[in-house]
Amino acid sequence: MLQVKEFSNAILSNINFNLQNDENLIILGSNGAGKSTLAKVLCGIIDSDCVELYGKNANELNAKQRAKLINYIPPKLEIFDEYISFKEYLNLSKLYSDFSVDEVVSLLDLDELKDKTCKKLSSGEQQLMMLASSILHNAKLTIFDEPTANLDPKKTLKVYNILKGERIKNRIIITHDLSLAYKLGYKIIYMKDGKIEFFDDNKKFFQTSNLDKYFGNSLKRIDDYFMVNL
Amino acid sequence: MKYLFVILSLLLLLIAPFFGQIEISLSQINNISSIDHKLFWDLRMPRVVVAFFTGALLGLSGLIFQSLFRNPMSTPFTLGVASGATLGTAFAIVFGFISFVAVFGFIGALMTIVILFALTSKLKGYDTSSLLLVGIALSFFYSAALMILFYLSDETQSYEIIRFTMGSLDVVGLNHAMPVVVASILLLFITLKYKYEIKLLLTSYDNAFLKGIEVQKTNTILLISVSIGIGIAVSITGPIGFVGLIIPHILKTIYKRSADRLLIQTFFYSGIFLVFCDLIARKLGTTSDIPIGVITSFLGGPFFIYLLVGRKRA
Repeated sequence: MLQVKEFSNAILSNINFNLQNDENLIILGSNGAGKSTLAKVLCGIIDSDCVELYGKNANELNAKQRAKLINYIPPKLEIFDEYISFKEYLNLSKLYSDFSVDEVVSLLDLDELKDKTCKKLSSGEQQLMMLASSILHNAKLTIFDEPTANLDPKKTLKVYNILKGERIKNRIIITHDLSLAYKLGYKIIYMKDGKIEFFDDNKKFFQTSNLDKYFGNSLKRIDDYFMVNL
Repeated sequence: MKYLFVILSLLLLLIAPFFGQIEISLSQINNISSIDHKLFWDLRMPRVVVAFFTGALLGLSGLIFQSLFRNPMSTPFTLGVASGATLGTAFAIVFGFISFVAVFGFIGALMTIVILFALTSKLKGYDTSSLLLVGIALSFFYSAALMILFYLSDETQSYEIIRFTMGSLDVVGLNHAMPVVVASILLLFITLKYKYEIKLLLTSYDNAFLKGIEVQKTNTILLISVSIGIGIAVSITGPIGFVGLIIPHILKTIYKRSADRLLIQTFFYSGIFLVFCDLIARKLGTTSDIPIGVITSFLGGPFFIYLLVGRKRA
């Protein structure tokens, strides 16, 4: 369903990978490894000729067709207008979902934010709003860029449940949270210096030899949880 | 409160044609043989119509430029489009194409937009502050070119150019007002048609792209429409600054809404503002009217600063 053939630019070099139908993906890698850049290439914000979406060259799709196939949720909300409200933002995001805006809002327990302007939301609230927008957009494939970065434990759990649930079709998740990556169990890409260092099954990535190789002694494993070794 | 403003504005529109050096009696305006009738239908009415629709066009253009270029300072004037139109017009006056003044003004505006567009693609997307600088550089270049034209012109021509650069709402007969009327109403329809796209563009260009908007195409359509409108307006009234800059800002501070929900309000109140300024210009002028641009800046400037400062405090 998603194929990248030999993509290179100033940040990424020689990116090649192929996802089969209904495979989900997790992208890991240190800061500045090129994860977000890769995401922008996949969704077309960075123009390229190397991406194939559901059997078609992404460059040949028109704007509407592409929006139906792929969506990208950035790590931080970027919004120019200071008066657009939470509700208005979600109304704009409702494209291919059968859920109504109100249903998604109450699903995520966000009712009290409805009339606030986007700029006045906290970063965590903005993150939840963008998650809600991804459900309403309902593209075939959604890329989440660090969806749990600004969240408290309760909200992180909520996002985790949504991410593994049915409301989102196929997903690619960029994260630093290894416990989340392990629990979700999707295939893993590990990136370093703009290159894909590892691309294989979840189980294989979490073998001790690999963890040592990529994280050294900065990481501590306790059962199924992975923590920073402080 | 908002209704009160609408009613006051409509009243203003109704009484505006009756202001001026010569008083018009209401009972005579339907009497075809009277001077009042001629004065009212050939001079006063067209003037109010031109003032309203030019104001509306300028305000709406400002709103669109500010939204698309992501900068509160960008209007067709700050980006040099109006200066381009002025230069075109002056060129026509000096080189004897008097009957094609409007066409030349229009070409000047369009030429500027083409230059801006070519540069935006060079500047990678919409790097707004560089674009603004380009606009300012263009304006300086155009003023220099205008100076050269002055140098080449004779006395009557220079007077005509000066008069034109000050802006004027003098038109004779409704026919001459029609291009502005049509252009402004068309622009209103186009922007209303693209309301959804404008709103998505107001979130972020990336978001608009991801939601399936053809960003480049939408921008092009909107900016070209604005430029055509500005070209037409400037060729008829001369450059009238400030309306496009301040009215959208004032309305945003009052309504606290995003631009896509202020299209009609901006259109209406910018029109009213220019009619109001014109009233003052006519009332103050003794032998000849004060140039309209002087009034708009004189009134608008302090009020705008007052609003900005007031908002920062709140």
